[in-house]
Amino acid sequence: MAARVAVFALASDFGCQVQMTNMEDDLLAVLAQFDLSYWQLASSGHVPDEYDVAVIEGAVTTEEHVALLKRVRKTAGVVIAIGACAITGGIPNLAAGEDLERRVGCVYGDDGDIVACGRISPLPVSAIIDVDYFVPGCPIQPAEFVAVVQRALMGLRDVTPREPLCASCKVAENVCFYDSGRMCLGLVTRAGCGALCVSLGRPCTGCRGLADDANLDSARAVLASRGIDERELATALQLYNAHEEASR
Amino acid sequence: MSTLTVEHVARIEGHGTISVDVEAGVVSDIRMDIVEPARYFESMVVGRRFDEAPLITSRICGICSPNHAITSIKALEAALGIEVSERTKLLRSLLLYGSYLQNHATHLYLFAAPDFVGQPSVFPLAQTHPDVVMRALSIKKLGNDLTTAIGGRPVHPITAAIGGFTAEPSRTALESLAARLHGAARDAAATVELFSTFDIPAFSTAGEMLAVSAEHDYAIYDGDVCALDAGWCRPAGEYRDFVTEEVVAHSNAKHSTVDGRTFMVGALPRVNLGWDRLLPAARIAAIKAGLRPISKNTFHNNLCQAVELVDAAERCALLCERLIADDGSSTPVAFAVRAGTGTAATEAPRGTLYHTLALDDDGLITAGNVVTPTAQNLANLEADMRAFAPTIAELAEPEFILGIEQLVRAYDPCLSCAVH
Repeated sequence: MAARVAVFALASDFGCQVQMTNMEDDLLAVLAQFDLSYWQLASSGHVPDEYDVAVIEGAVTTEEHVALLKRVRKTAGVVIAIGACAITGGIPNLAAGEDLERRVGCVYGDDGDIVACGRISPLPVSAIIDVDYFVPGCPIQPAEFVAVVQRALMGLRDVTPREPLCASCKVAENVCFYDSGRMCLGLVTRAGCGALCVSLGRPCTGCRGLADDANLDSARAVLASRGIDERELATALQLYNAHEEASR
Repeated sequence: MSTLTVEHVARIEGHGTISVDVEAGVVSDIRMDIVEPARYFESMVVGRRFDEAPLITSRICGICSPNHAITSIKALEAALGIEVSERTKLLRSLLLYGSYLQNHATHLYLFAAPDFVGQPSVFPLAQTHPDVVMRALSIKKLGNDLTTAIGGRPVHPITAAIGGFTAEPSRTALESLAARLHGAARDAAATVELFSTFDIPAFSTAGEMLAVSAEHDYAIYDGDVCALDAGWCRPAGEYRDFVTEEVVAHSNAKHSTVDGRTFMVGALPRVNLGWDRLLPAARIAAIKAGLRPISKNTFHNNLCQAVELVDAAERCALLCERLIADDGSSTPVAFAVRAGTGTAATEAPRGTLYHTLALDDDGLITAGNVVTPTAQNLANLEADMRAFAPTIAELAEPEFILGIEQLVRAYDPCLSCAVH
């Protein structure tokens, strides 16, 4: 029997779900590999009582999300977190912290009490439940998503790259931003994107999360050696990696 | 009183729940509860470096991310007094149109069409109507390839910067895109034809219609904001004077009015206001499909998106050819950081998008405001639901609910955007 797959979205821009459809040449072949049990974005229907694989996009930002994740973990044999929001808290995590109420006021004025009910400070999915596979990125890359789903369906171990991005830049023959005194997070960020942003003239912003062996002390020393205030590393990491940086 | 609910309405971007109150067999109220969680983007950008704003606001929406990025960039350029080259404007228009092709193909075929053929999704049609599904995927892929060629990837563009672009597609890439775009106009016309065969209710919205408009251009990148009924056009920078936002209890997205009326933004208002500036192929396709301005039938928004596909395919081919002939530069222009406030508007696939950003002398953002198309549409959508529900009240419950869902989907709502 084909594995039953359910797709859930928490607080997100739906961009990773859109990327799941952005493989037009292969979409039907990919969908043919499993039984799509629930996907609000693409199909009518209710959340089923049983499914085998849960794909989760988005950061945890409400009590309802927490309850949903606990139900999902009890039901699904395999949980896959896709995208920076689900894996590190991502961009929604910029609103994390003790000043959540001030943020509500900033957006809704004095009427914040009647909306955004059950709100909590943003968290990654793994802060609530165990996650079996990760598809990093903001957004995810369709090919990497397919590869991870196939490994999950076959019960194979996760092979997401663990090393930092710098080696990819060497292969791509990019000029290092540090040579011109500009900060780039590639030296601590998980590889696997082919250094796409740097190849297009933009420093890495760390959307794939910290590499397993990211050396933050060494990164700060590199910044200092290029005349960049080392506190800028923490500011830059807040974009995608505030939780990760705090835990290291 | 009993309440019918459709929780987390399918085939729309984001989470919304339809609630229908029924008293003694009569619909007494109907609401669109926006349960999509708030992410507080306006508070997120405060304190961040100004050039991070486009990256951050791009993450409001996975479908119209190029629109959020470009609108933030334009707002910052207005604040900093930066003028960009014609080439940069051409590239930006192409990037925005890439999101039109992608959005409209996705909405029309993946989200809207299944309602008209009695299917839960588009996927079963791969067996029964493979040509239709292939056409859908082909237009969608072309939109993504266009966005990727200009912006670096389909979602969250990389190359669009303040003052210009950090990288450009090669001449060969532009030539190949131009050829494919000319070819895609046929697929787009077939899409108009397909949607003209779907029965839609004879229904008119009572709301006003707004769109960015310009004298000589279909104007999705730049122009004034015009009102269809009232007949005025005003600079986008004054939007806070004419768009009034208020917080309502059942929605994490605010509701909007203009001149005290609910209003609609999106493809239907754009086609109504910009009919003369559509390319001939698009107007011909529309007329063949029985669509002529002015239409106030909300359900025509689908057909108008299809008409815009024809226009976008032809127009993007022309834009590519202009870029090939142009010898200007899109290298980001130099500028000095200074305190200021800027506002900008573009037409996103679902309607007018406004960004305001303020920064201080150190280049840190001090305030941000984002008004998205769907946030503007929600009050009008609810007004339409209340007016439309009694006209289909005699239908059995599943058909009644389907009718309401079709109305909701006709707006192509993006609740990620609406709440943000």
